[in-house]
Amino acid sequence: MTVSTGTHAPVEQIRTTLGRSLRVALVHGREEASRRAVAHLALASGTEVVTRVRATDPRSFVEAAQALRDAKPDVVVIQGGAKDQAALAELLEALRLGCGAQQPMPRIFGLVDTGVADALRLHADPFEFERFAAVSEMVEALRALRRAGNEDIVLRDALIEDGARALATTNGSTALAVDVTERSTSLVLARTDGRIEAAHLVPLGLGMGADHVVVRASLDNVRRWLPWPIDAPALLERMFNRTRPLVEDLATTEAAILLEMALAREAIAHALRDASDAGLDVAAMRSAPAILITGRVASLPKAGQSLLVLVDGLEPNAVSTVFREPDEGRAERIGMVVPVMPRRSAKIRIVRASGRSVARVDPGTFGLVEIGEDVDVAVNGAGIRGHGRSGDLGVLIDARGRPLSLPERDGERIPTVTRWHAALQAVGAEGSPT
Amino acid sequence: VTWRRERWSADHSLPIGVTTRAQLGELVRAGDIVAAGATLAAALRVPGARRLGLSPSDFDRELRVRVGSDVVAGTVLARVGRRFARSVTAPIDGRLLHVTVDGDLYIAPIVDRWTVRATLDGVVSRSDDGLVEIEGEAWCFQGAAAYGPDAIGELTLGVDGPNADLAPTRIDVRLSGRIIVGGARMSAEVITRAHACGIAGLVAGGVPPAGLRVVYGDAVTASGSPSRDDRPTVLCLMGFGSASLPPEVYKPFAALAGARAAIHTASARLFVFSTADIGRPEPPAPDVAVSGEGPAAYAPVSRPEADADEVGGDQEEPAQSDEELSPSSNDPSPAER
Repeated sequence: MTVSTGTHAPVEQIRTTLGRSLRVALVHGREEASRRAVAHLALASGTEVVTRVRATDPRSFVEAAQALRDAKPDVVVIQGGAKDQAALAELLEALRLGCGAQQPMPRIFGLVDTGVADALRLHADPFEFERFAAVSEMVEALRALRRAGNEDIVLRDALIEDGARALATTNGSTALAVDVTERSTSLVLARTDGRIEAAHLVPLGLGMGADHVVVRASLDNVRRWLPWPIDAPALLERMFNRTRPLVEDLATTEAAILLEMALAREAIAHALRDASDAGLDVAAMRSAPAILITGRVASLPKAGQSLLVLVDGLEPNAVSTVFREPDEGRAERIGMVVPVMPRRSAKIRIVRASGRSVARVDPGTFGLVEIGEDVDVAVNGAGIRGHGRSGDLGVLIDARGRPLSLPERDGERIPTVTRWHAALQAVGAEGSPT
Repeated sequence: VTWRRERWSADHSLPIGVTTRAQLGELVRAGDIVAAGATLAAALRVPGARRLGLSPSDFDRELRVRVGSDVVAGTVLARVGRRFARSVTAPIDGRLLHVTVDGDLYIAPIVDRWTVRATLDGVVSRSDDGLVEIEGEAWCFQGAAAYGPDAIGELTLGVDGPNADLAPTRIDVRLSGRIIVGGARMSAEVITRAHACGIAGLVAGGVPPAGLRVVYGDAVTASGSPSRDDRPTVLCLMGFGSASLPPEVYKPFAALAGARAAIHTASARLFVFSTADIGRPEPPAPDVAVSGEGPAAYAPVSRPEADADEVGGDQEEPAQSDEELSPSSNDPSPAER
């Protein structure tokens, strides 16, 4: 990645990476808040969750110890209140039995009160027990482990967070960054005051993480986005072979691109689901006025492809200006999304400096309104109001409804999906791939 | 992706409940039992130090039974005092599994026994309750992914060429205990039939993921799924689906057929124990010497004497079958215990 510091200043080359894969076991109290707290920690730190154990876990002592041994965690994150102290102490005994011989030994990171920490520390012997007073401190410590002591490298998730912050500051509004790479999927919501909410899911991506998308979303849910019929075994084969190092390069054929788009939609949808599960503000993510797409999705050949992946996966419900920034390229404003949910035909007034126009919107409408490149636009009507800036593509009116549903039968689904792709010029003219 | 003969290391993770394990520096052969233990059911927590009125730090001194020992109900586990003695006894038959920081004891009933076998001829380089690591020299092919438990057996060609698919009809019980090399593709039918016929493991260029899902469940991923349970062992050499084997990969299989071999599923490697000459081995990649994941974390050992041996093309005797397995010298069989 290249960071420019001005026209005459030298260009500083920095090394961006996902860092070392850090295996984390989550041990939490019986309260829902405790479960959410550890889930939030794991998402914010970009670590790989290898097992979750609740204080009221129905598994026996031996089973819990075996699960922890099989998980081979690098770090065990513990969160709980005074009520959970006894149960957490027993789980630490299970950890001692399960991972006592592991080399290197797992470290224990506790997000607990001082009193609970003192009690648990006794049961953690011989593991190193560290208490953190705040989530941000623990996230920083986990990221330091991912950097493996190399301060020269910049973690990709930190860079995405910086990008989201910069966009929020520039726009003066909440901003969302959506990043999908070979192995990771990130959603970062940045507010104007600098606060961020981040979800970095590993492994979940388009290359090495593709099989995990299939396992989580199911093959049928990936297949439904493809505008041509394909049988499940053939699709599964393509998905599994995407994890091989040979397919790390950017997709070049249309079939590969459409497959990546299908995977990316499900990856984003599942990142949202996990973010919601961890108590992050998903509603604010969906209504962010500025959205930045980065990573592999931003590197798709056509801007319409990036935009289509975003609206299908994220399902925004407010007027947004969408940007994309490929890893090896400049950021560009690609379009403005206007999601409307009319029950019957409605009109939307589109106002710009050169005049105003009215667009008629029927339920299910999905298409671009040519408005001129990169102009300020305000819209209102049909239950939607907002303003933004059209990019290269113009204004996308999305009246497909929320949550987005696709027809079940191939005979109805394929024409529908094909129409959506065509609306954003996301497929070539030569027809569907086979 | 090629064959290499050098010094490798193989980790063997151990389940909880180890009874015996190979000791550091011990010589083992692939197929030898390197660890044995008990499968344990839900454990009972028995008050220890509190019952005896001791501090947890003093409790260890009063234990009469070593942690990890099998006990019968009523066995005195710890005892203090002479005239007015207080003791902790085992409430059930089982194993004294763990002593907590508080000085309590966990005792778990034994419901089964397990063994872990070596997948490499060599020396035990690490041995603890969680893992036995073996280092040794062998021909090795690094596959793409492996599924199921480790497998040891005689390497047998199941196809006539690198592009052929292994037909289910070529699998029968006469091949029991062997590692069968398929060609480009191996179907779920072949995998299940092979397992039913007692085939130790299957190796193929590619395996359809749909077939893997049928056998191993929908949660299976492209990174493999090593396990300990009774399932087929499959090694995908090149990828998924159909992948014809390049000549430099297939020809060595023909040369090594009949030799003892092992599939180490955690690392997706096929080890073949033979001094046969299968051509000039590829020089190791530059990162071999610094990689902890790959071959042992030092440069491959140069073996002029081994190279000399290779001219003769001698092959070692076939692997033992399940019925003939003999434990390593330090490990009594479960029956003897």
